[in-house]
Amino acid sequence: MATKRRNLFLYLALACFLGIVIIFIADGYLGTYDTVYIIAGEREEKVEPDFWLRGDRTWSSGVDWGEKVKFKYEVDNRWFRTYSAEVAVSVWHSQEKVRDLVAQDIQVAPFDKERLEWVVDTEELMPAEITPEQAYNYTLIIKRGEVERKVVLYVNPSYPPKVPLPVR
Amino acid sequence: MKLEFILFGFGILFCLGGIGYLAAEYVKYLSEVGRLVSLLLVVAMFAFLGRYFEGLRW
Repeated sequence: MATKRRNLFLYLALACFLGIVIIFIADGYLGTYDTVYIIAGEREEKVEPDFWLRGDRTWSSGVDWGEKVKFKYEVDNRWFRTYSAEVAVSVWHSQEKVRDLVAQDIQVAPFDKERLEWVVDTEELMPAEITPEQAYNYTLIIKRGEVERKVVLYVNPSYPPKVPLPVR
Repeated sequence: MKLEFILFGFGILFCLGGIGYLAAEYVKYLSEVGRLVSLLLVVAMFAFLGRYFEGLRW
């Protein structure tokens, strides 16, 4: 009787362990995850899926005035059926849309990845009244079906080179 | 006999290391509910293991 009762505790402990493994697989691994790569100049930033999973968050990135920023958006489908959605990328400033960059339907096979790429030319998007000495910012909104990711791009001002003082 | 125990020890350590690595890698992808349930299951698992070893008079 005592042995049966003791073994019951062992089986319950094993059941708990199995439950943890199932949660890690079903909740932690399976699903659709997206990663954003921001490449400006020689720097590459990688925004991991767990950043977006921690609530409604916005990623911030700084670029130099006139710099072209390359974006890579990777959708990782860790599910048993094909994932399809429309990906729409647009640039905003002060709650107003500046430009649509991408509007594309994607289909990702089970346990496969799909990657989209686009370039944001900060100089091209800049309003005429903004001079290189002024800072500016944009919000990039990436919409994938119901999911929305926001990236704020801070465009740093370009300071004119210092003119050396004349030698007296 | 001693060598067997040492090998068992290494085996257990590697198992725990592997599970720890996977847990650290995937815990960030878990939802809040998933994390809470996992925590409760870990507590329950250690409690049941404790009762089991108590029965073995460890």
